[in-house]
Amino acid sequence: MPTLTINGRSMSVDAANDTPLLWAIREQLQMTGTKFGCGAGLCGACTVHVNGEAVRSCQTMVGDVAGKKITTIEGLSAKGDHPLQKAWIAEQVPQCGYCQSGQIMQAASLLAKNANPTKEEVVAHMDGNLCRCMTYSRIQKAIMRAATEMRTASAAGNERRPT
Amino acid sequence: MNQHVKNVTPETTDLSRRSFLVGTAATGLVLGYAGVPGIGEALAAAPANFEPSVWYSISPDGLVTVTCGKADMGQHIASTMAQIVCEELGAKWSDMRVNLASNDPKFNDPVLGAQITGGSWSTMMNFEAMSRAGAAGRMALTEAAAAAMGLPPYFKDELVVRDSMVSHPKSKKQMSFADIVKSGKATKTFTPDEIKAIKLKTPDQYTMIGVSVPQLDIPSKTNGTAKYGIDVMIPGMAYGAIVTPPVRFGATVKSVDDSAAKSVPGFIKAVILDDKTQTTSGWVVAVAGTYANAKKAAAALKISYEGGPNAKLSSQSLLDEAKRLQGLDDSGQFFVKDGDPAAALGTAAKVLEAEYTTSINIHAPMEPMNATAEFKGDILHIYSGNQFATRSGAIAAGAAGIDPKFVVMHQMWLGGGFGRRLDADMMVPAVQAAKAVGKPVKVIYTRENDMTMDFSRPLTYQKVKAGVDGDGKLVALSHDVVSAWPTARWGIPDFLTPSVDKKGPLDSFTVNGSDFFYTVPNHHVRAIKNEMAHNATPSGQLRSVAPGWTFWAVESMIDEIAAATGKDPAQYRISLLDGAGKNDGGAQRLRNTLLAAMGLAGYGTKKLPKGEGMGVACVSSQERATASWTACVAHVAVAPSGEVTVKKLTVATDVGTQVHPDNIRAQVEGAALWGLSLAMYEKATLKDGGIEQTNFDSYRPLRMSQMPEVAVAVIANGEKATGVGEPAVTVVAPAIGNAIFNASGARVRALPITAEAVKGAMKA
Repeated sequence: MPTLTINGRSMSVDAANDTPLLWAIREQLQMTGTKFGCGAGLCGACTVHVNGEAVRSCQTMVGDVAGKKITTIEGLSAKGDHPLQKAWIAEQVPQCGYCQSGQIMQAASLLAKNANPTKEEVVAHMDGNLCRCMTYSRIQKAIMRAATEMRTASAAGNERRPT
Repeated sequence: MNQHVKNVTPETTDLSRRSFLVGTAATGLVLGYAGVPGIGEALAAAPANFEPSVWYSISPDGLVTVTCGKADMGQHIASTMAQIVCEELGAKWSDMRVNLASNDPKFNDPVLGAQITGGSWSTMMNFEAMSRAGAAGRMALTEAAAAAMGLPPYFKDELVVRDSMVSHPKSKKQMSFADIVKSGKATKTFTPDEIKAIKLKTPDQYTMIGVSVPQLDIPSKTNGTAKYGIDVMIPGMAYGAIVTPPVRFGATVKSVDDSAAKSVPGFIKAVILDDKTQTTSGWVVAVAGTYANAKKAAAALKISYEGGPNAKLSSQSLLDEAKRLQGLDDSGQFFVKDGDPAAALGTAAKVLEAEYTTSINIHAPMEPMNATAEFKGDILHIYSGNQFATRSGAIAAGAAGIDPKFVVMHQMWLGGGFGRRLDADMMVPAVQAAKAVGKPVKVIYTRENDMTMDFSRPLTYQKVKAGVDGDGKLVALSHDVVSAWPTARWGIPDFLTPSVDKKGPLDSFTVNGSDFFYTVPNHHVRAIKNEMAHNATPSGQLRSVAPGWTFWAVESMIDEIAAATGKDPAQYRISLLDGAGKNDGGAQRLRNTLLAAMGLAGYGTKKLPKGEGMGVACVSSQERATASWTACVAHVAVAPSGEVTVKKLTVATDVGTQVHPDNIRAQVEGAALWGLSLAMYEKATLKDGGIEQTNFDSYRPLRMSQMPEVAVAVIANGEKATGVGEPAVTVVAPAIGNAIFNASGARVRALPITAEAVKGAMKA
């Protein structure tokens, strides 16, 4: 029985090694914030982080992530207050909302490496995530807003640090 | 069509038969219209936990929970209903909560008399009922507060209700909604006449309507807590994965060999569906303890099929049949029959004739179809996000072989609807699998099931003939629309429309929009049912439905006429929108909207480089009686290769009254991008009776990198609130086609538009 480390907790899951991580997370561990969209890595709705990298959980097998650090939307922040989540609310991004966990997780992996992305970098990073409600312009705005907040927070942090 | 379906003609609702209830219950204050006798009572008597509340309730802690009878698929309609109630009630927005209704008829739409969400109808049809419900609550609370404060009843006009607080400025007394509810004194009842007599606020008194309050559902959609149908978990449930045949409709199962599936851990059973509802022919469900294993078992089943009558058909066969039908004089029924186009065409100075087509299109909401079914005692519980609880409950009942009154539909947030979830096919495998294995079953379609078994936007073929007189005035228009009939498939006579020539009902959801607001003295529209397409590709209502194709034809043809008579296409439209006769009012609003879009886009003033152009279109979607006046200016660049780049879409829309300006902009932008996606990127094809596209690699909705600049102007002129979820879908394709013509001289008449077609249409 594989043991997975999800959102800092160790959980064992009664699934064969060739079970897509998506189904283990959603249906067996009942963390349903991660969504099923296409089952083929074409839409991004199932995006989670494995060791900080955004991956499609429908294309990632349980046996391949044992011992790795998995983060889902439920674990992105303690209180749903990651700068991206706050920006998603401020920009009123979601319509149906179904793809948005995946969008946020995909965006988070960008901002973790690049807190000052250009619009082109955002588009290139996000283009694999479909939104059928077509909320793309608000997604872009929210990512830019969150990036600004993260830079401001980190600048403020730097100022307070003794030199 | 099955009998159960026929039986669910929505009850006509007469508000005068209802009395308005205000009463304190153990749970707090409950307000709403009493249900008409029917399913509700039967159900309420059966399970102890059936929810008895109506439009909204106020709990002793002051939280106001509005129950939304509309499916929320991202248009934030639940939040909108709460906002309308909140305005008249005088509650604080942060006290508002929403709840999704069950299929109890007491939650039926007050105008439609059923639970159905579509047509961009919800706001306009519920605005008054929700306003009156809110106002009645405020009156009841005010009276109770006056009594509790020891004020004589005639003091009640001196009370001010704001932010969930009733205050009496003179005596400086105040009481919160929470305290009033706790006092148990709010017991006023209203007769229907009293409800009708309530004086509602005038727009100048609004403090909530017109304000972009934070949508109540959004936080839960940023942290993974919003529950969609696919997220339902029932203790002890099994999972079903479906195997669908290679033919879209009409195949039957000859045999199922489950010997290999038996070695999959947790495999329970393969269930061949009994297709009583004519939606799931040839489907098999593999049931197992987990979804991953259900999928493995499904893949291991060896099924042989009888292909059925549609197994040889292709998109080309459907199109050929459409052309054949259009050529027959006695095909179809008349939707519009003004004057005598044949005679007028005979004497016209110039006659134009063109064919316009649209391809099969797939809804593909991001949440694949799913449903969870559980038999509990006599009651069948269905958990699924659905747009048509009234009919879907009956379909579930039909699949189970029980009376519809024993079905409880538990509404969930919809991971996209776009019309797909008006259908109830997903209920059938869940119900029959649950019945077969004696456990609750959650059935989840794979994306491949979802795409190949979509109730698609039908392939359409339209022939338009136009005649102009010597001055270039449009004197005749004859318009034939050939398609599958999505609404006829429902088997509900109330949703069909009598034909003008009394040849029986027609499906107006195939021709809406063709009854435009241009003044054309001789105008015929024929609705022709393509029976072959109807059977082979059971069609559904895809966001905007008919206006998505009728305006493609009409607005392209108007442009062609303008070009042929040497007129500016925008000015030509304005001349046709003269507001004569039956077009008075609507025509002027549409003209003004077109002018607004032209102004915002810089139409006719902006100098464009060679190879770029602007095109306009204006529409009265969705229906003549429920139009949101919408216009678009598309700005495109066309390369010599025929490659089209849409640089900007400028959309103006007259919505009368805006409840939530930010939401309207979100809906209009999303709808416009849907229009772009359908115009340029989305195409499904039929081959050997099956849909060829199976996932997002071959069926390709718009992605972020393909998004042009979108400018939206919302006109709120104080007229009644209209719907915004769909109209902008319909205006974009013709605006782009017209812009391509303006940029390159190439006229395209088939959707989606391809570089090949543009290049082929360019003059050498």
